Amino acid sequence: MPQARKVALVSGGSRGLGAELVSGFLNRQYGVATLSRTKTAFITNMLRARKGRHFHWSQVDGRDHEALRAFVKEVGERLGRIDVLVNNAGIAMEGILPTMRTRDIVEAVEVNLTAALVLAQACSRLMLRQGSGCIVNVSSVHAIRGHAGVAVYSATKAALDGLTRSLARELGPRQIRVNSVAPGYFDSEMVSDMAEEQKQRIARRTPLGRLARIDEVANAIHFLTSDQASFITGHTLVVDGGITC
Amino acid sequence: MLTAPTLAQIESIVHGRIRAVLAERGGSDVVRLSGADKLSAMLGLSSLDLAVLVAELEAELGVDPFAKLVSITSVRSVGDLVRAYQQAFFPELQRGGKDDTVAAAVKRAQTRRTRTGRR
Repeated sequence: MPQARKVALVSGGSRGLGAELVSGFLNRQYGVATLSRTKTAFITNMLRARKGRHFHWSQVDGRDHEALRAFVKEVGERLGRIDVLVNNAGIAMEGILPTMRTRDIVEAVEVNLTAALVLAQACSRLMLRQGSGCIVNVSSVHAIRGHAGVAVYSATKAALDGLTRSLARELGPRQIRVNSVAPGYFDSEMVSDMAEEQKQRIARRTPLGRLARIDEVANAIHFLTSDQASFITGHTLVVDGGITC
Repeated sequence: MLTAPTLAQIESIVHGRIRAVLAERGGSDVVRLSGADKLSAMLGLSSLDLAVLVAELEAELGVDPFAKLVSITSVRSVGDLVRAYQQAFFPELQRGGKDDTVAAAVKRAQTRRTRTGRR
């Protein structure tokens, strides 16, 4: 039975920024669907607390294109519509390109870029029929500034920004907005392996003097998916405390 | 759709969806469509209109021939679109698959060269 509430699909919602977004959309009275490779304690708790009400999770590997399409179809059938897609799932791939294994390059492109393209394609089909929708791609400051050791990661994130601009033009006439959020370093599992000294160096180089809190990044995404951003499309919103300015 | 539609039903459904898209765009009421009608040049459908059509038809018919079977760029006329969906339900209608597509592309290129006098 289709439900009246808006529906957000967040990829990689089992931890970190994705989990923050899942909670944020539920608090904003959205129905939420998310997919991830693993079932974390967060997902287990959400499934127990929600008992299937307005929350749907499936174990999907982002490299499995057919599974991604099937997930979108399932969400459309279970929750009735998809108003928001947040392409959040991603993997950090560190190491300089000359010595990186080819399979690691391919995996980063598959998870960070191809999965986002497949999800955007499948969700945009529903959004085209609805005549409305909003897509946010989670990019990175690495798409804007070059840094040694993240060439592959940077390439996938810069590609997402390119996708954002062109898709905004393709889908704009049907009132579907497409934007990116490019976070700088924020407290998450992706920086948990970073040495304290390295984090302090980043903080010193950041005009606001610290790493972002995870909710500060999530808030930028919630803003772009809200009616307050109704005339913003094709934009990359940098949320980095000024480190790239 | 629970059972496979007939060729005539597919044609009727595709025509109906084209009319609906044209009506939504505020275009003139097209009472009758011909297989030879060009989607872009004659009916004024954009690539986004075509995408809406494909999304609507996938919802109604449960198939998307453009996912793997047919290239959307090969669809130029109403008849092309109808055939794509008919082939999705009746694969035996495909004559040469890729070969036909390639042959059609070669023929178009030859026609262009003839028009412009190039070799």
